[in-house]
Amino acid sequence: MSSPLLQAHGLGRRFGARLALAPTDLAVDAGESLALVGPNGAGKSTLLALLAGSLEPSEGRVSVADAVRVGWVPQRPAHYGRLSPRENLELFGRLEGAEDSAAGALLAEFGLPEDSQPSSALSVGNRQRLNIAIALLGRPDVLLLDEPTASLDPGQRRRLWAKVDRVREGGGAVVFATQNLDEVERHAGRVAVLRAGELVFAGPPAQYEREFAEDVFA
Amino acid sequence: MRRAWLVLVKDLRVLHRSPFLLGVLVAYPIVIALLVGLVAGYANAKPRVGFVDEDGLPAVIAVGGHRFHVRSTIDRVSRNVRLVRLSPKEADRELRTGKVVATITVPPGFVADLKEMVRSPTLVLRTTKGGVAPRVNQQVQALVYSLNRQLQEAYIAANLEYVRLILHGGDGSFLGRNFHVLGLDGTEQQLRELPRGPRLDRIRAFVTVARLALAQTGGALAATAHPIELKQAPEEGRTWALSAQVQAYALALTISFLTLLLAAGALAAERDENTIGRLARGLVSLGELVAAKIGLAVVVALALGMAIALLFGGIIQLGGIVGGEPWARLPLLAIGLALAGAALGGLGAFLGALAREARTASLVAVLVVLPIVFLGLVPGEIVPVAGWISDALPFAHAVRFFASALYDASPWGTLAREAAWLGALALVFGAAARLAARRLLV
Repeated sequence: MSSPLLQAHGLGRRFGARLALAPTDLAVDAGESLALVGPNGAGKSTLLALLAGSLEPSEGRVSVADAVRVGWVPQRPAHYGRLSPRENLELFGRLEGAEDSAAGALLAEFGLPEDSQPSSALSVGNRQRLNIAIALLGRPDVLLLDEPTASLDPGQRRRLWAKVDRVREGGGAVVFATQNLDEVERHAGRVAVLRAGELVFAGPPAQYEREFAEDVFA
Repeated sequence: MRRAWLVLVKDLRVLHRSPFLLGVLVAYPIVIALLVGLVAGYANAKPRVGFVDEDGLPAVIAVGGHRFHVRSTIDRVSRNVRLVRLSPKEADRELRTGKVVATITVPPGFVADLKEMVRSPTLVLRTTKGGVAPRVNQQVQALVYSLNRQLQEAYIAANLEYVRLILHGGDGSFLGRNFHVLGLDGTEQQLRELPRGPRLDRIRAFVTVARLALAQTGGALAATAHPIELKQAPEEGRTWALSAQVQAYALALTISFLTLLLAAGALAAERDENTIGRLARGLVSLGELVAAKIGLAVVVALALGMAIALLFGGIIQLGGIVGGEPWARLPLLAIGLALAGAALGGLGAFLGALAREARTASLVAVLVVLPIVFLGLVPGEIVPVAGWISDALPFAHAVRFFASALYDASPWGTLAREAAWLGALALVFGAAARLAARRLLV
């Protein structure tokens, strides 16, 4: 059996006295699609931010397999409002060390405007598409998505999941947080349930549906 | 540092796309500088001083036969204060309420004492407590000194009149009594008519010597009254508005406002835009991010500082101002601007990291920059604590560096010391900002 692409070892985070995530062990294997579910404030975004390396853990650590690249789509779009979508993609592309052509290709793939209008003037859906496009600049092997479809229309959702599936099918892995049970059913190969910062379940969707689907958001 | 450079270029592009913000940020310190200039101007304005005449000063007094124009003399010598004629009651009330900063009272009997020349007449000075009192004291002393100068001339003229009477004889008066004096001329003439003899020859010799000696009295009296004479040459220096100090303050004030606000706002904005998390995942370290914000402050300080220096220089050259603009010193000024920008940028980044939100960071930066500037304006010799605090902040060092770089004949000692201060402050504040930047990830 191959080693996990991404692994959390006793990973925990406190914000002052508040526990956001109790020490958690979790492994993400190649080809896997893991759904993180739980009510608001359960610790899903904190776990994803810790796995992405954008947040320092209070305890534990994250290990990433050699040469594995991680892409992160935060829940709230993360780009510069005064820069155009192209400028945002070019800037983050240079920081990621991506090829010069990557920005233009993603701009076209996500149907983002080519003009110089600032990103702050984009629609909510377009901002989220730009948010996702930036995460794909580094050709990630593991994609971490924090409620990525919340502001996308059905067509955009289909295209996003098609893209995500291609990453997974190419030997990568996907971890996504969602409140949408339909997405869990369609796209998750495994489900992890968080409650009040604690990982209370990790297993196949069928078992999850039997044990948690009724009251996971209660 | 390539990644910090990319963030810096992004920040400059964002700044370029915010012309209103940039305009306000440039205009605001200029408005503040003008207000400070007005305050400085007010500090040099004439304080209001009450003048109470309890003796009924006449327009003209004859002192020793010399006509002395009292009122016009007081008006002429009170250039540094604004004398307001008040009754004793009004003066008392206005002094208590602070409407006048001092009162000068001419007590009863002043004119009589002045005319009699037997004892010195007195003026009574009352001042308020507080900052301007010493200055008013000095100015009233200057007023009394000037009056004394005028009176001395009158007294000398009067005394010389008595000397003239002794020398040449004639009619005179003293303490209201008229008299006739024979004089040395008349004495010598009458001695010539007497039979000669050894005793008469000695008296005649004495009269001759006395006449010669008394002829020198005028110069001797003037020299005794004014052992040192101060002559004021025609004004040739610069106006205060173009002085080295004002240029240095204008530069430091403008870049302090701009760089502190920009560095604080730019770092906090990374959290507002949610990009800090994306950058901190290994794309740009927090140290590089802080360095980029300090770099932004350095670039803005250099660009704006040099623009202001060129503007001052242009005005000075076009106006043909004495001394001209020291163009050859501009590279030194550029070094100071870069160092000051780095120190202020470090402090701004530190504030931005503490505030965590761009709006709060901007407000905090404005709240912090004003005390920093005003602390730098307080002379350390007068309030040592202000001097110590000011030493730990970049503004005063920037002012000293800029003034020395532009106008000191031998600037190297001052430049080395202030450059070391600014460099050290940049490192300290930069390190503090790097530590505090972790708060942005929460």
